[in-house]
Parts: sequence; structure tokens; C-alpha cells
Amino acid sequence: MQAPLSGTTSIYLQIANLVEDNILKDILLEEEQAPSTNELARLYAINPATAAKGLNLLADEGILYKKRGLGMFVAPGAKTMVQAKRKEAFKSTYIQPLVAEAKNLGLTQQELTHMLAEALQEPSET
Amino acid sequence: MEQKNLVAAGVTKKYKNVEVLHPTDITIEPGKIYGLIGRNGAGKTTLLSLLTGQNPQTTGTVTYAGQKVWENEDALGEICFARELNAMLMFGPNSFKGKHYLEMAACYYPNWDKAYAQRLIADFELDTKKKISKLSKGMMSMLTIVLALASRAPITILDEPVAGLDVAMRDRFYRLLLDDYQKTGRTFVVSTHIIEEASSVFEEIILLDKGNLVEKLNTDEYVSQFHYISGKDDVVDQATSGLKVLHSEGLGRQKTVCVRAQKQNVLAAAAGLDVELAPVPLQKIFVYVTGGEKEENLA
Repeated sequence: MQAPLSGTTSIYLQIANLVEDNILKDILLEEEQAPSTNELARLYAINPATAAKGLNLLADEGILYKKRGLGMFVAPGAKTMVQAKRKEAFKSTYIQPLVAEAKNLGLTQQELTHMLAEALQEPSET
Repeated sequence: MEQKNLVAAGVTKKYKNVEVLHPTDITIEPGKIYGLIGRNGAGKTTLLSLLTGQNPQTTGTVTYAGQKVWENEDALGEICFARELNAMLMFGPNSFKGKHYLEMAACYYPNWDKAYAQRLIADFELDTKKKISKLSKGMMSMLTIVLALASRAPITILDEPVAGLDVAMRDRFYRLLLDDYQKTGRTFVVSTHIIEEASSVFEEIILLDKGNLVEKLNTDEYVSQFHYISGKDDVVDQATSGLKVLHSEGLGRQKTVCVRAQKQNVLAAAAGLDVELAPVPLQKIFVYVTGGEKEENLA
């Protein structure tokens, strides 16, 4: 949860993304309490309304759920939901820019496939 | 509970024959942090001083919870206006000491929190025995911040509170502000020229330009209306043909323009074209909207 915010997208979307990242990486587990609006606002020095907007977005998608008087919790199956959501966006977020740059560089399909296969073999950096 | 709004209706301000604030309607709702931005001379301090009954408006009305603000002790006790301090007063150096300034505030604001003021003074390492004229610009800013926060006024207005502060102190100030806001839910209106770092603190922004209220909107909603479109000049022109272009720059055939439109319209216009889209930081939006272009055209 310590990654700094950047100026590239709306802050509430970044907040939603950060929480999703933590669910994907098992930093935040299912049925665990999600960070509160106030904690997020304090950590990132942002308006609590903005932090709430990010959390509510995840609640609307069923990734978090509200417990009355206690706050937001990670829903059962949240990790699968985040994975499905990210898979859907994978093409536009990663593949399309990758292909565009490959075209700029004049890489052939064969070269690109080879590089991908090679990268898949390498030990993961994270 | 009845919502206590601070409302200006049709207010204007003339100095001699010059109207520095054109007819303005604005409602400050409780429980929000507002950011007031505008260029030098846009009328920010004038608007704030009218809202807080420190300066009579030429026309229009200012009310708090339905009651006139002007010379209304009850309303004014709930509205704190922390103005920028000056080393000079009308007749010479400002020889009030910091502690006198805060003692006056303690008499004035019924919710004054003395313990909180002392914590802030210690935290800022402020010497309140010094005369205001002997304080650095940063120290003066800190003193106004102590006054504003410790007033615990339901509506607290800070005019350029971070003007003299270094980047670490500015960060500290916004964190203190958010901290107190979370505890109390008071309303803050903060004017500043240092926009980018404050934009994440402001729930709504109020944009003044040349004496006109141009915008009062949720910060996210406002920022999401602006987009950069960049690429090869003729392709960018094709993409932006039906859009409102606020700013354009480029090098050779490379061109970047800033447009104001809904996201889906921008996506539709750019569909199938080799252009890149990017969000526009609030600070840049401010420059484009308030006409900071002039200098560039002269060059």
C-alpha cells in the first residue's frame, strides 16, 4: 500500500487500483478488512471523499463489501474477480501498446514471439 | 439538522469605478474542503473578504444559515478568515507579537481551542514572543495556520496559507488540515497558487478569472473533462476537428493539443487514428483556461 500516487489518472481510480494490486498479490486477503477511507486519506494526503470514491467503486463491483459500522472488507472470490477484470483489460493495457512499439521498431512477429517465450522462461522479478 | 450554508447572491465589488468582482453567486456547503484558485488580481481575496463580512459588497447579499453576515456577531464567530499577515501595518511595522494575535483570536472565536493552538505552536517551533514584523514569511504563514485551525470555526477560510512555506511544511500543513477535517468535518476554503500538490486535498475547486466565477465543481469531475491528444499534426487535426481545442503545441510535425470534452467523445474522435491520449494535470488546465497563453504568443 506504500506505492506513491502518480499524476496519470484520477486519484480515486489509483486508490481502487492499489487495493486491487494488494488483493492480487495476497497482501490483502479475502474476508480481511480493507484500509479505511481515513487511513488512505492520511497515508496519501488526499481528500477522504476521493478515497471513499475509490473504495465505493470496488464495493459496486463486488470486490469489497460493507459491514455495517465496521467498514469495508474483501469479498470472498475477490481475487478471482480482480483477475478476471484485469484479464479483460490486459489486451488494451499491455498487448496493444506492446504491439504498437514492436511495429515502431520493425520487429517481426517471429522475433516478438521469441522474445515473449524467452521472457516467460526468465525468473520473475517480483 | 439544518444545513448551514454560506451563500453569496449577486455580489459585486467596486473600488472607485472599477468592478473587481462581477456579479457572483456561490454557495459554500458544510463538510467540504474547497480550493480557490485564480491568477493574481482575479478577485480571490476580494471574494473571501466579502464572504466573511470583512469588506462590504457593492451589491448583492451574503448570508450564513439564512442570516446576513455583515456585522452579525453570531455568524462571524462561526466563520474564520485567516488572512495573510504583513510585516507592515498602516502606520509602520506590525509590532504585535504572535501571542497577541492569537489572544485576540481567542476572544473572537467562541470555539477557540487553546490546547490545539499550543500543540501547533510547539509542532511548528513558532516563537510567539516575536513581533510579527520580525517573523519570516514562512513563520507568518504558520501563525495564520495556527489561528485558522485552532479557531475550530465551522467555516474556516485560509487565504494563501502556504505562500511562504517550503515544500515539507506545505505537506505538513495539508496533512494537519486533512487530519482536523477528518476529526471535525469542518468546512475549509483554501486559496493557493501552488495548485498541483493541493489538488488531491480539494473536494471541489472554485476557479476565478478576471473577477468572474468560472467554475465550481468536483475536482475529479473537472479534471476528467480535459485531455491531451498527441501525434502527427494532420492526424491530430483530424481527431480534434469537432472538438474544442484550448491549447496547442508542437515540434515540427509532432503536435499535442488539449481539448475539453467528455471522455467518450474523445475516444470516439480518436478511434482508429494513430494518436495518444493523456490526462491533463489541474495546473496545466488552469494555465490554459485562464489565458496564460499570451506570453508564449509574444515570444
